[in-house]
Amino acid sequence: MFAVFKRELNAYFQTPIGYVFMGFFILLSGIFAAITNFIGGNPNFTGVLGSITFIFLIVVPVLTMRLLSEETRQKTDQLLITSPLSITGMILGKYLAAVTVFVITLAVTAVYPIIMSFFALGGLAGWEILGGYIGFLLLGASFIAVGLFMSSLTDNQFIAAVTTFGALLLLWILDWVTNSLPTDAVAGLVFLGICAAGLALLVWFTTKNVFAAVGTALVAAAAVLLGWLFQKSFFEGVIVRVLQWFSLLKRYNDFNLGVLSLSPIVYYLSFCAAFVFLTVRMIEKRRWI
Amino acid sequence: MHFSRKENDVIEVDNVTKRYGQRLAVDHLNFTVNKGEILGFLGPNGAGKSTTMNIITGYLSATDGTVRVDGHDILAEPEAVKRNIGYMPELPPLYMDMTVEDYLAFVCEIKKVPRPEQKKDRERAMDLLKITDVRGRMIKNLSKGYKQRVGIAQAVIGTPPVLILDEPTIGLDPQQIIETRNLIRGLGKEHTIILSSHILPEVSAVCDRVLIINKGKIVASDTPENLSRGIVGENRITLRVKGAEADVLAAIRSVPDVTNAQVQGLREAGTVDVLVEARKDRDIREPLFLSLCGASLPILMMKTMDLTLEDIFLNLTTEEKEVQ
Repeated sequence: MFAVFKRELNAYFQTPIGYVFMGFFILLSGIFAAITNFIGGNPNFTGVLGSITFIFLIVVPVLTMRLLSEETRQKTDQLLITSPLSITGMILGKYLAAVTVFVITLAVTAVYPIIMSFFALGGLAGWEILGGYIGFLLLGASFIAVGLFMSSLTDNQFIAAVTTFGALLLLWILDWVTNSLPTDAVAGLVFLGICAAGLALLVWFTTKNVFAAVGTALVAAAAVLLGWLFQKSFFEGVIVRVLQWFSLLKRYNDFNLGVLSLSPIVYYLSFCAAFVFLTVRMIEKRRWI
Repeated sequence: MHFSRKENDVIEVDNVTKRYGQRLAVDHLNFTVNKGEILGFLGPNGAGKSTTMNIITGYLSATDGTVRVDGHDILAEPEAVKRNIGYMPELPPLYMDMTVEDYLAFVCEIKKVPRPEQKKDRERAMDLLKITDVRGRMIKNLSKGYKQRVGIAQAVIGTPPVLILDEPTIGLDPQQIIETRNLIRGLGKEHTIILSSHILPEVSAVCDRVLIINKGKIVASDTPENLSRGIVGENRITLRVKGAEADVLAAIRSVPDVTNAQVQGLREAGTVDVLVEARKDRDIREPLFLSLCGASLPILMMKTMDLTLEDIFLNLTTEEKEVQ
């Protein structure tokens, strides 16, 4: 794993990608810090971090687009997969390399609060800024995990970049979309019915076993029906609750306000783990095609 | 067919099948490779050579059947199998933005060569492939021949007992081809090797045994010598005779054991070149001489023709066979 990590990190700085990512990120965060903190005289740096989260939409696809797609295109995946290295180790090495480039970039932006600390009259809220950084790092790491997964789906880095951008944009507008979705119980029933059907289809596509798929469909349908009979209130607003589970930005707001609590940290870490796991499955599945 | 494991079998391929949708790429393949043997895969493009190699190395999974390397099943113990194999795929898996030395250092690490031995192993591989002079150069700036050699160097890192080389001499110039063949023959002393090719002289020059594969099936398996001697063995002679075409053909066809006589063309004025085929195990040189002599048609040249691997290959892999 460490060998892949080291190679990948080197590759970021052998090609323009690492520099483009860092340069663009530092430029934009610098502009925001300058306007808000230095020129505007506002000592709130976590606010700056909160307002530059949109950069992820543009720079994360750049950072992750060639992670796996380039290996497939250049056939170097044959070297990695036929070596005694585990696929999980290889994917983790790549993911951590991308996250490390991001951490290095974040470390550079730490000069803004340090400069501010010389001039801020009442001193800076150091812990609050650190908390803001932790949230920002976790949010970025989650987006990078999505990008990694998208890169495993294609051997073309531009397609990987565009689909990553699309996926991140969807996650971005999720809150806005969920607000206008129906919240009544019938809509919830229909939604859960579709989910049950989707689950059964997924079982069918992965196992190609009719009994397993039909069984899953029956069990899921029974669960939904039982819920409908005994706990009807559960169905009210269920669409919003489910979709909000995917809302990365909503959980970031806590960090932004200077609140550091465990549950969003666990949420982000499991989100990253889920996408890394999906990527591993994707690469393993390729052997069976 | 089922093979029981023998002491010497390093690679056992048992009933391996690979299906891409409806298409059978590899069709119930069965073979074993003995320790220290150099086995050649021969077949037209798309015959299933690369797919078979990808299955043995664990890059692809077979739809059915098992592969064992040194007694380890590729599905049950992939790591044990992968440690035993050095693989050079059709396209050398090179990172273009690395130097040769950095690249080989990376390969050492992912192949889990013990750290103290890594430098020695790298030097050995570079010496063997004669790439020491380009060690500091970026791989993307190397010529195709050098890239190919870096690809082979990558496979010999860690001295795995089995080497699998997919078209190792493709894209090399004639001088390098000869060097690479010598190299492979040298490697054959300490490694068991499978190499694929669609170039016949290469296989007959290097391999102890040849498998001819077509449409995912083994159509022949033998030593190169036996292959050119045996299978379709026919007796063929080319003649250059002075005289008119019709007279020459008539005289040749009057010899009892001749099955076919074909005019090959006119290379010298007033003569005719004829390819004569005769029944197996009959020497027709003397009757031919006497017959042509009797007709006052002087023989200027007579040459027996061995069946080349090319002929066998075409015979085995082409569907439209001549109707006799």
